[in-house]
Amino acid sequence: MGIRVLLVDDEANFVETLSKRLALRRLEVVTAASADEALAILNREPIDVVVLDVRMPGIGGIEATRMIRKKHPAVEVILLTGHASLEASMEGMTMGAFDYLLKPVSIDELLFKIEDADRRRSLRQKEEAVPASTDTPGESE
Amino acid sequence: MVLERLRGWLTGLAKPEDQDSGGNGTALFKARYHSLRLLLAANNKALDTMAEMEEAALGRRVFGMAFVRSRCTAAGVSVFSMVRHLDALAPEKYDELFPVLEEIQRRIRGVLAVPEPVEEAPLVVPLADIDRHSADTVGSKMANLGEIGNAIGLRVPEGFTITSAAFDLLLTDSDLKPEIDSLIQTADHERPAEIFALSSRLQQLVVNAEVPARLADAVTAAYEDLARTVGGRPSVAMRSSAIGEDSPEASFAGQYRTELNVRPENLLEAYLQVAASKYTPQAMQYLLQRGLRDDQLAMCVGCVAMVDARCGGVAYTGNPGDPRDDRVIINAAPGMPKAVVDGEFAADQFVLSREDPSTIVDRRIASKTARLVLDPAEGLTREAVPESDRETPSLDDEEARRVAEAALEIERHFGLPQDVEWALDRDGQVVVLQSRPLQQFDRQPAVPKSAEAGEPLLAGGICVSPGAAAGPVIRVERDSDALRFPEGAVLVVSHPLPKWAALLPRAIAVVSAEGGIAGHLATVARESGVPAVFGASALEALEEGAEVTVDADGGAVYAGVVQSLLTRRTQRPPVMIGSPVHEILLAALQHIAPLHLLDPDDLGFRPSSCRTLHDITRFCHEKAVREMFDFGKNNHFPKHASKQLHHNVPMQWWVLDLEDGFKDEVTGKYVRLNQIACRPMLALWGGMVAVPWEGPPAMSGRGFASVLFEATANPALATPFRKPYAQQNYFMISKRFMNLQSRFGFHFAAVEAVIGDRDHENYLSFSLKGGAADLDRRSARVRFICEILADYGFSVAAREDHATARLAGLPGPAMEDKLEIVGYLIMHTRQLDMIMANPSAVAHYGTKIRADLDRLENRTQGADD
Repeated sequence: MGIRVLLVDDEANFVETLSKRLALRRLEVVTAASADEALAILNREPIDVVVLDVRMPGIGGIEATRMIRKKHPAVEVILLTGHASLEASMEGMTMGAFDYLLKPVSIDELLFKIEDADRRRSLRQKEEAVPASTDTPGESE
Repeated sequence: MVLERLRGWLTGLAKPEDQDSGGNGTALFKARYHSLRLLLAANNKALDTMAEMEEAALGRRVFGMAFVRSRCTAAGVSVFSMVRHLDALAPEKYDELFPVLEEIQRRIRGVLAVPEPVEEAPLVVPLADIDRHSADTVGSKMANLGEIGNAIGLRVPEGFTITSAAFDLLLTDSDLKPEIDSLIQTADHERPAEIFALSSRLQQLVVNAEVPARLADAVTAAYEDLARTVGGRPSVAMRSSAIGEDSPEASFAGQYRTELNVRPENLLEAYLQVAASKYTPQAMQYLLQRGLRDDQLAMCVGCVAMVDARCGGVAYTGNPGDPRDDRVIINAAPGMPKAVVDGEFAADQFVLSREDPSTIVDRRIASKTARLVLDPAEGLTREAVPESDRETPSLDDEEARRVAEAALEIERHFGLPQDVEWALDRDGQVVVLQSRPLQQFDRQPAVPKSAEAGEPLLAGGICVSPGAAAGPVIRVERDSDALRFPEGAVLVVSHPLPKWAALLPRAIAVVSAEGGIAGHLATVARESGVPAVFGASALEALEEGAEVTVDADGGAVYAGVVQSLLTRRTQRPPVMIGSPVHEILLAALQHIAPLHLLDPDDLGFRPSSCRTLHDITRFCHEKAVREMFDFGKNNHFPKHASKQLHHNVPMQWWVLDLEDGFKDEVTGKYVRLNQIACRPMLALWGGMVAVPWEGPPAMSGRGFASVLFEATANPALATPFRKPYAQQNYFMISKRFMNLQSRFGFHFAAVEAVIGDRDHENYLSFSLKGGAADLDRRSARVRFICEILADYGFSVAAREDHATARLAGLPGPAMEDKLEIVGYLIMHTRQLDMIMANPSAVAHYGTKIRADLDRLENRTQGADD
């Protein structure tokens, strides 16, 4: 089964294009246009990795990171934004984001980050039976 | 605060005490190895980002503040990740790094910050209160106009300026700044279509912004004052007046918008339109190409009573194409001066003597079929000139003299030749609308035509920017044409519109049917070093896509590539060096790139010594490798203990498997080479054993004495094995990853490599230091090895007897070749410091090593084929 990714960005075009491309790479993609919507989805669906914009109307990406990490500690968060700010990036990382990526990002780089985040998530689950694959999914192909 | 949060982030990672519950500790091992992998990936990303910034610092390519900010942010994030992953490997052990990183980040933020104005400037300033010292609040254009009216006493229109403080308020009140920065950051500035789309989005943002009530009130009040002064409800001209515009160094010619004949009820809308023109495609390109800060450029807007011009135009107090010609040149047309400024209407030309402006040296009267006049509703309208007036001079001799005298008076005041926009109002008074330094250049004589050139496709044009260049013809008439404009083409236009300046970074030359030397596009072409021929009427001779040579000095265009003309190929000026954006990059790099932490055995190798992001990466990398190693060494599970390498005989090499570096489970104390699955290790090993070592070089007596001396003088060298892990040669491996720490006597070498399926994550780093001879010879050995590595494509950095070499992003087989080279060098350069004082021995070893390496390369290439 593919990694379950929740893509959160208020820019509809961006979300649509990116979710198609990630789905093409065998990820299971769910989208949300706001942090509120994302939190609602997290409450009812199993999600592995959230890809979050930083600047959104309503709850911003940094605050959303804090909320997600608190309520759903098993879920990894990657911030993906055009907001090249040292302050915001440090705040996001401190809130527990797995990484802070700047747009434009190549689809491969994003995919690899999602895989790394997901692998970290699965390793954190303290299970002895780590998935049979010895490395990240992308590498087993 | 930071630390508490981080503890949260780390929760759930297997902790050492989990060992008991887990049995053989496999999950724990995997989690730790994953942390190390992530740390190494972040390390590579940080180093790549720094290399990219240092490359940009050379000033060979153009970049803006978005680049500087994004790379600083990316480097900061990578380093933060490293610190966090190190904390996962050794919880709380290196907590000291967080405040150190925080402090470095604070300094970088300080470099990038936009300086706040010292005191809040008023939102609106009446023109009567403005002079040349007001440029920081009202922009250069309005500061000049105020100076002309108030200090020189020439007639200028009544009005006021909406200041830089107003622009800042506009953007901050709607919180537009981060959004604007983000859009600029995200766009691909290499593609014209993206630049135009970005420009449109940015301008929309500003145009749609709500004018804060405080600003609206101030503008309205200022307009009411203006109305009281001039009487009635005057319509106004709204002119851009950017900070730094019209300076002698940067003309900003035609970058921004002017709105003429605006009715008072539309004043705020017009203000937003002009303010938004900060983001026209040509203006954004102009800033970018010159390394000027877009985040600091505030758009001030002048608002002056509209002059109902009987006629108007421009006056130059010099010849734009010949700095030795100091006569005054006036271009004049009936109606509004915009007709002349834009160069789209026929205009009369008067040339006057500077010494005696009553003498009209030359007069060319054009046939003026149309003119621009005020539209009774709003804006300007084009109307036909009655047949009887078409040949009538726009100015009589007396009027021409008064225009020339006004222009010369401005030149005397500012001390530079001027480019003055003027109008004659209905009373025949000269009104100065704006003045800026005249952009002049020295035309060169045309290169004598050679037989090679043949007959020109087009001749008789004016050279408005010197030089020559060849490329395919691309005709641009509409924005949609501009979107497809390719790099290196000849830009061909019928009107020299200022907006085509956005294409100058890509255009190799410009040909325009109309226009003259002083136009906006011509000025920017000269500043950008792009050859240009204007007034070249027969454009139809230029076939779309056909290769042509533009000989700007000769005012002609030839078919094909004419080499004899291209000797005047222009060099684009290296604008980035010394520009404000470049200076900021250098200042930020001071806190990012220099490396102070070199020797891990040095007492100064600790968090508090880290002064740059690079120092922190170095520290984290070193400690992470050691932590991983110590963990492998000290854990209680035989399965994960290190194994001694057995190759025919037990060797002094130990191997620690991090995850999947062995083909199958290895029991007992030995691991055999054929059980190793680690791709980088096998490649390195191949290089080590490829050529038998001849043994240590024959030493001179002095060489040996030097070893003894160094060994007794330097306690660190006398006890080289004080670190337990340095006693032997240690590999830490997985299938794709290898880290080797090795010490042969006094020679220390470390190799780290990844060869996996993601080519861009592949890398190889090799560091070496030490030797047994004196520092001079140890350093000479390191330089000797660096030269060889550089020849084989490594990027190397050496300081004293310490060097690092790096390679990244190559496909697997190429990475393996490079690892073989490194393996060979580790074995064969041992003790070479001994012979470094002996040139013939150095030459001998240099030749032998290169010959061996070439054989090695050929061997593997042969195997690949």
